[in-house]
Amino acid sequence: MLLKDQVALVTGGSRGIGRGIVQALAKEGAKVAFVYKGSAEAAGKLVEEITQSGGTAQAFQGDVAQPDTATGIVEKVLSDWGRIDILVNNAGIIRDGLFVRMKPEEWDVVVTTNLGGTFRFCRAVVEQMVFRQRSGRIVNVSSVAAQHVNAGQCNYSASKGAVNSFTRALAVEVAGRNVTVNAVAPGFIETDMSEAVRNKAGDLIKKMIPAKRLGKPEDIAATVVFLCSPAASYITGQVITVDGGLSLGAVAV
Amino acid sequence: MTKEEIYAKVAATLVEALNVDDDQVTPTATLQGDLGAESIDFLDVVFRLEREFNIKIPRGELFPESIFQADPDFVKDGKVTARGIAELEAKMPYAELGDFKKSPTIENIGNLFTVELITRYIQSKLA
Repeated sequence: MLLKDQVALVTGGSRGIGRGIVQALAKEGAKVAFVYKGSAEAAGKLVEEITQSGGTAQAFQGDVAQPDTATGIVEKVLSDWGRIDILVNNAGIIRDGLFVRMKPEEWDVVVTTNLGGTFRFCRAVVEQMVFRQRSGRIVNVSSVAAQHVNAGQCNYSASKGAVNSFTRALAVEVAGRNVTVNAVAPGFIETDMSEAVRNKAGDLIKKMIPAKRLGKPEDIAATVVFLCSPAASYITGQVITVDGGLSLGAVAV
Repeated sequence: MTKEEIYAKVAATLVEALNVDDDQVTPTATLQGDLGAESIDFLDVVFRLEREFNIKIPRGELFPESIFQADPDFVKDGKVTARGIAELEAKMPYAELGDFKKSPTIENIGNLFTVELITRYIQSKLA
């Protein structure tokens, strides 16, 4: 086990990519606390599943866009488990729509959740990692949409592009304290979030992906585990794209 | 706590915070120049001193950021202005500014922050 007895905190952990990350970290021996917003049932099931297979997990309800969510949950995890070795900022939402019709609240909620949530959780753990532990791993879940944009995602692309820049900027400040900060940029992954797009254009999307398949949450989770493992201690400030080659932009011949 | 005891604790804290050897830490050693402290290290030092001595160090009290960051209100053309010096005197009554006043350049500010200065600061906090 790569992460035996380490303490991990994952946002957006009950479904989709986050669920895969929680499972993978637990499988590698980490004690995992995760945050969910609405899916209490899925969260409960996940805790049960991990506990039954001998792992340790606990779920916290909270909206990462709210100002006090991060500090409250981080305090609780620290009082229960004494440290936080790994933070995965995965919680993210979409509110797709063409910009000419985009409402300010659709912009705000996406930016406040995807970028603001990442900021708040990083801010809540950074002193613990930098000053007290002098070690830590932060992984932010970004998206290929930060670089390879789609119509209807001005808010989402902007938020993920900002996450990438934030990742690099924070990495520089904390690198000297044995804290690494990286991002993973998934392509099309089979989750609830991508369901509408897959319904509309699934076959077309598959044709655009050189690997000829959509990604699975496990594909992203494996990269997160790697970035949190001892093997990745010298990697920081990087955005690792995991998309089956989608972003290479090659034309099938 | 005697001054010697405070100094010993300050020195131990700096060894830990700045990852330097015991013998590098002398009363006259400067944090930036001699001990290689970068900006985040100053915050680390504050964090550890607070914990070690069980005191609260308000932001900017031990290391006045406005002057450090060359705030134009206090620094002009690379030199700390008369107003800046007054600010330093007000904020750092425990510092000896005599030598600094002779050549109050922004580069020399770093030289103010010696192990001895931190010891005197802690002494004033505990008094």
